[in-house]
Amino acid sequence: MANIWTIAAYELRRLLRSRSMLINLFLLPILLIFLIGSALSGVMGGGKDQTIDPFRVGIVDAAANPSERSQLIGSFLKSPEIAEIITPETADSREAAVNGVRSGEYSYAVIVPAGFDKDIMSGKEARLEYILGKNRTDNMVAGTVFDNFLSSINYRQAAAMTLGPQAIPAMTESGQSNPAVVLGKLNEGAPAYTASQYYAAAMLLMFLLLCGQMVITSLYSEKDNHTLFRIGSMPVKGGELFMGKMLGIGIVSVLQCASIILATHFLFGVYWGNRPGLLALVCLLMILASLTLSVIIAMFARTAASARSISTGLTVVMTFISGGMAPLPDSWVNTGGAFSINHWGMRGILRMMLESPWTQISGSITMLSLICLVLLGLAFFSYRKVGYHV
Amino acid sequence: MALASLTDVVKRYDSKLTVDHVNLSINEGEIFGLLGPNGAGKSTTISMLCGLLKMDGGSIVIDGISVAKQPLEAKKRIGLVPQDLALYEDLTTWENASFFGKLYGLRGELLKERVKEALEFTGLADRAKDKPSTFSGGMKRRLNIACAIMHRPKLIIMDEPTVGIDPQSRNHILESVKALNKLGSTVIYTSHYMEEVEAICDRVAIMDKGHIIACGTEKELRERVAHEEKIIIKAGSITPDLILELKQHPRVTRVEAEGETLELYLPSSQSELQDILFIFAKHGGVIQMLQIEQPDLETLFLSLTGRTLRD
Repeated sequence: MANIWTIAAYELRRLLRSRSMLINLFLLPILLIFLIGSALSGVMGGGKDQTIDPFRVGIVDAAANPSERSQLIGSFLKSPEIAEIITPETADSREAAVNGVRSGEYSYAVIVPAGFDKDIMSGKEARLEYILGKNRTDNMVAGTVFDNFLSSINYRQAAAMTLGPQAIPAMTESGQSNPAVVLGKLNEGAPAYTASQYYAAAMLLMFLLLCGQMVITSLYSEKDNHTLFRIGSMPVKGGELFMGKMLGIGIVSVLQCASIILATHFLFGVYWGNRPGLLALVCLLMILASLTLSVIIAMFARTAASARSISTGLTVVMTFISGGMAPLPDSWVNTGGAFSINHWGMRGILRMMLESPWTQISGSITMLSLICLVLLGLAFFSYRKVGYHV
Repeated sequence: MALASLTDVVKRYDSKLTVDHVNLSINEGEIFGLLGPNGAGKSTTISMLCGLLKMDGGSIVIDGISVAKQPLEAKKRIGLVPQDLALYEDLTTWENASFFGKLYGLRGELLKERVKEALEFTGLADRAKDKPSTFSGGMKRRLNIACAIMHRPKLIIMDEPTVGIDPQSRNHILESVKALNKLGSTVIYTSHYMEEVEAICDRVAIMDKGHIIACGTEKELRERVAHEEKIIIKAGSITPDLILELKQHPRVTRVEAEGETLELYLPSSQSELQDILFIFAKHGGVIQMLQIEQPDLETLFLSLTGRTLRD
């Protein structure tokens, strides 16, 4: 055991003494998270709530006489929940509405076709024409409001035609109890996180996987420096040398992991969730997976260069298919991505960031543990089969 | 009393016998030389002696402990100075020595004391804080030795420790070997430099193609080729007729000619020198230099294998 600690301590000393290693371990990940998180922040929705201010909507009713104007639209726009968001203003014509939208007088405009109410009563489909303004949010809100209105009208029309006119009062009552617009808290319970959070998790996992490079470099350098030959002639068991090296690199990886989490939290405000213990467990499992995977590669690769290429290739591919480089469609991530180690780590950490319940996190941790168990078994088998000697 | 003994040691690579039933006995307190050309099997033998390679046959016992059965116990008694530099370039001299010292089980004040002692012994005490990357080849070789002697091993194995270094460092290392021996360590010294082995070793084994072809003290080995003296003659005009007549001389066993230099091998130069000078005069050869060399280990190797040590 003393030999394991001696080897680990000197491994740690050698790793932390290398400037390039320090840059790669501690500076590069934080820089990457900052750059990618900032560059791709538009790809994902921000987590902040947005307030909707009332805006003016130009309403053009194409009916020739004011008496023939749509009562349905009129009463809908007067309902209190709509009045809080939309301020209707009558426009004389389509041209006036278009000009009004262009000049900014209206944020949005709606053209009500002539005989709108009559058409609905006769069973025709309800349609409105929209003129979109410059503000994306206003367009989205107004579009949602009027689409809901049309859906509701068409629904009631269909009910009346099927069940008879007596169904309409009942439908109206239920319609009133379900307002067209509900103001709520954005992202509540939904899978949403900031770009910084997403890429912090993805980069953390990628860099933890890259820790395996240290294993490969260390194992091969011991051969190249002939120090393995000298140590082989000393009263040191082969397993002790191996375990010492893994322990040293494992400690460096834990330090790297802690530095990424703390730096992103304090520098970029990345929220890592409220389960530090589980976060540490996921990180430790990722480190174990990375170390064991690299051991397997190092046992079978002929040269350090080929081992490093295989390890880097696997890390990049796994990071990509797990959506770590760019968010991929869920269907891809859940099929191809499921075969990567990162996928399970990523799922676990993102759930923690969203403060999801344990039941939603446990699956990822179980899968990650199983992967580690399999890799550990394979690494042990490879070591027994191939060995680590001169 | 034998400190290390190798009995019928065999090592095969695929079907080729690299070490072929080697028997050796190294006495306590001696400097034992293992001489042979590159590829003779010296390093393979050393690797098996240190427990780095498994034997395919035979046994090796060090200080009464079987290397195959109790490798860790046997290794505690060995200090290996590998042929290739086995150092960490990113650790300082002190850290290198300290690391290997710890692996030999040294701790605390004893470790500090032994590291200091080893660095002083190899003349590196004033460079303790420097990294080997700043050292000359000779200094690296000395550190290579320091890392193997801190635990005061009973048996120090030096595998070609002077390869590729300057004469000054080479002398320093040879003096170190003698000093270590005086301090009580038994030394196995492998080399393909005959002069080194002749200068420091009490006994020598000559190895070729996996076999021990001769073993004994330098005097014993020289006696085996006492009949092979060498006369080196540098002459102005060496003709084919001159070489032919020298070859036909009944006492000359071999003639080698290269440019203006002739090498003649014969049992005793003193009795035949007059004849040889007469043949030169007869063919008009003008002798510029004449040198008589007593037989050495190189001569023995040549006599046993028909090749030189550095072929």
